[in-house]
Amino acid sequence: MSASSRTDAIDIVGNSERALRDPQLAQALGTALPALRRMRSAAAAQVPEWESLRAVAAQAKDHALAHLDLHLTRLEARIAALGGHVHWAADAGDARRIIVDLARSRAVRRIVKSKSMVTEEIHLNPALEAAGITVVETDLGEYVVQLAGETPSHIVAPIAHKTAASVADLFVEKLGMARSEKPEEMTRAARAALRAEFLAADMGISGVNFAIAETGTVVIVENEGNARLSTTAPRVHVAVMGIEKVLPRLADLGVLLRLLARSATGQRASVYVSMITGPRRPGEHDGPDELHLVLVDNGRTRLLADPSLRDALRCIRCGACLNVCPVFERVGGHAYGSVYGGPIGAVLTPALDGIERAGELPFASSLCGACAEVCPVKIDLPRMLLELRHRAVRAGMVGVVDRAFARVWTALMRSPARLSALTALARIVQRVLVRRGRIERLPYPFDGWTRYRTAPPLAATSFRSWWVSRRREGGGGGTRA
Amino acid sequence: LGRIRASLGGTGERTPSPDAPDLPRSQPVADPAVLFAERAGLVGVHVEPVALEALPDRVARWCAERGVRRVLTWEIAELGPVREALERAGVTGVPADAPLADRAAADGGITGADWGIAETGTLVLSTDPARPRLASLLPPRHLAVIRREQIISDLPALFERCGVLPSALTLITGPSRSADIGFVPVLGAHGPMDVTVFVV
Repeated sequence: MSASSRTDAIDIVGNSERALRDPQLAQALGTALPALRRMRSAAAAQVPEWESLRAVAAQAKDHALAHLDLHLTRLEARIAALGGHVHWAADAGDARRIIVDLARSRAVRRIVKSKSMVTEEIHLNPALEAAGITVVETDLGEYVVQLAGETPSHIVAPIAHKTAASVADLFVEKLGMARSEKPEEMTRAARAALRAEFLAADMGISGVNFAIAETGTVVIVENEGNARLSTTAPRVHVAVMGIEKVLPRLADLGVLLRLLARSATGQRASVYVSMITGPRRPGEHDGPDELHLVLVDNGRTRLLADPSLRDALRCIRCGACLNVCPVFERVGGHAYGSVYGGPIGAVLTPALDGIERAGELPFASSLCGACAEVCPVKIDLPRMLLELRHRAVRAGMVGVVDRAFARVWTALMRSPARLSALTALARIVQRVLVRRGRIERLPYPFDGWTRYRTAPPLAATSFRSWWVSRRREGGGGGTRA
Repeated sequence: LGRIRASLGGTGERTPSPDAPDLPRSQPVADPAVLFAERAGLVGVHVEPVALEALPDRVARWCAERGVRRVLTWEIAELGPVREALERAGVTGVPADAPLADRAAADGGITGADWGIAETGTLVLSTDPARPRLASLLPPRHLAVIRREQIISDLPALFERCGVLPSALTLITGPSRSADIGFVPVLGAHGPMDVTVFVV
């Protein structure tokens, strides 16, 4: 698809070409993603009622979204009654201002952060650093990303793009540790460095997986324990959440936690689920003195108002759609040029950042449908990707060549006679293209198809004519299969 | 909030919650304690049945086996005899209001548990002045003592009975872990690498 006129537009094609030339990326993704897929399928297969759980989860999220205003005001009232504070942020700038002001007014010098996609989305760390505050990411993967000066490439596995060897180089350089490629030794080194940060921090910032309106509870799911430390040791806890994360009832968690752990990492349960209901209470010896919850809109109300895309707000950020996506597995998360990659990112980014900036992302999909099959809350991602493609075309983002090609293609595919004429012609043309049984290079304007792969040649007879001749010969079994 | 209301459009949907879906109910299991031990074992937790009279000595031995010298403990009545046995064995208790650095220097954490969830092998820990959160988090080794009848079937069963929530209700399923580097699972990322449950 041709480039748009915006200079800050995401260049998924260029990014992908760079990614495909990176053997380290292929090695890292080739290790992590197949393993995540295997673990997810095994974990889903253990639950006989998996499909009905998905349906209930989708309904529960739909219900929560349809009454979002009621649930959020209830959540706010509950948290206020517990002595916590709720802040509303219309956009990323609002959210940054609120959090920087909180840190400044409480004389905060050092912050520990646990993993949070929404704080990536609002670009929080640079704003805090500009205010002279030290921020340390404490999820192991996020810590590596921060040391490397990169951004996370996967919702659940932030360094899915890095090999153990490249992390080893980084730890030698940044932590001065003796070189080791053993993940265990590297994890120990990070644990020691980060433990000191937890003990020294004045503020902890976390994301939120779910917030429960009826109880005023913030729920945080993790495996490492860094979110527990970030929300327990420092005197101030700031939780940041997208407005779509609220659930009406505590009991909703019974469904969603099961789906999240199994879909994300193939675990029956994540190691730690922290259900935080207000700040430290009188007489308690740990937990923060202050609890703040920042509710972030940043484009979500636009999605809410959009009937064809609203379901994307059901997303619980499990990352399963990334792990099964054949495009994501080859190009990685960074190619999407946005905080959210993969199929859900190709929907959320154009919806949140605008079609002008991210209109090419929905084309980075084979529409194979694997994402919709694994989604624990049944988001129909392929349909949304198609819808966003329509919008990109209407916005004039698709070039003349592509439009002309699509028109000709449509005309040809509509008539069996035209199609068989076309394939007959193609069979003649391909004689000069086939080398060792494969088509290795197609001529312009089709050369893009064969830049990184070969194509199989057309068969000598089409299935259609083979079928007809087979029936004519009276070959029995075939017709009744 | 105004934008949310505008996005939801109209007034038709403004009535509270008539269409909230029914959720699956808890599914009873024949012997929750047995399933709990199996599932917790699968994620690397050592589960051991211990008679009530034998508990104090067994906990002291747990410390000795692991070289644990300084412990953060819950100050609950059920653990009274355990704390006395530890004192006799020369294991130091770190006060729950000691400076954070002192608490972080403890090498063992000894807690009770409010519930156990059989389906997932999960410990559920409440919080109050006698139940500090950090006891199950800061030390590299965590021992939880649970009564057999506190083990319930699944998450829905927990939400049916957990009542008014404490400042923190923590669900713990196995030792702290991370597979971020090279996709190799490592135990003890930030929390305990060694979790033991004594079922009384």
